[in-house]
Amino acid sequence: MNSQWEPVLKDVISEVLETMFFCMVDFEEGDCEKEDFEYGSEICLLNHKGRLAISLQVKRDFAKALTANLLGIDEEDVDEDDLQDALRELANMVGGGYHARMDNSDLRLGIPRAWKIETSETNGTETTTGLRFGCYGEPAGTAVLNYVPCEAC
Amino acid sequence: MSYNVLIVDDSKSMRKVIRKTLQMSGFKVGEFLEASNGQEALDLLDGRWVDLILSDIHMPVMDGFTFIQSLRDKDLCKDTPIVFVTTEASEIRLKQLLALGASGYIRKPFRPEEIGTMLSRVMGETDEFAVGTSTEGCDF
Repeated sequence: MNSQWEPVLKDVISEVLETMFFCMVDFEEGDCEKEDFEYGSEICLLNHKGRLAISLQVKRDFAKALTANLLGIDEEDVDEDDLQDALRELANMVGGGYHARMDNSDLRLGIPRAWKIETSETNGTETTTGLRFGCYGEPAGTAVLNYVPCEAC
Repeated sequence: MSYNVLIVDDSKSMRKVIRKTLQMSGFKVGEFLEASNGQEALDLLDGRWVDLILSDIHMPVMDGFTFIQSLRDKDLCKDTPIVFVTTEASEIRLKQLLALGASGYIRKPFRPEEIGTMLSRVMGETDEFAVGTSTEGCDF
């Protein structure tokens, strides 16, 4: 992990989750198995040199709890549209917060997206390196930064 | 006195959150109008009066910059306060918005009291419904 962005991203994720989603998370070291997570969301910071993608993957129960907290409704009333919309907004705020802290006016925020991770994407033992976070002692999700230079965009 | 408020955001969740925040902060709302991008907002404002516009910046179809520029070009809502609720981090771009006539901006994530405080200033109210003190981007 890059030592520069890791603490920044931790700080941003904590702030966003605590302020808007009323949720506190703990960060852990190590790889995460992809099959742990059922939802993904992503936002890109773009400039003329390439794009920096911030991707979040979370467990369904955690996503439901976040959505319910954000909207002030019961978890059982959370529908699929609400859930993916809340995850897009989570990625949006994490991207904005990361951009603000990195102080790089050359970058601009893209439009966030969220999706349900299909079973075929999660089969196997593939792992991903990133920031793992948990909530109340349970694994909740992971955050990954991926830079793609322009020629590979 | 109650106000008609237009919320412009491509996220349905954020529109709900802002709406709820306004209600909880004691802001007296007559009618809530919602649009999911700048173009929808322009269409909605054609022939309608609102007292306050709360808008996102990063939206598909028409973003917040084009929206406020279009309002100015069409001479629409020229006396209506426009507050941007945004994840935009660039100070330069935020200053551009203020130069275009935005009344202020609130960065997401926000605390409910930040909206209350900003609106009390923008609407020229007393602290009747403002419960906090932290406000960003107010150009007063």
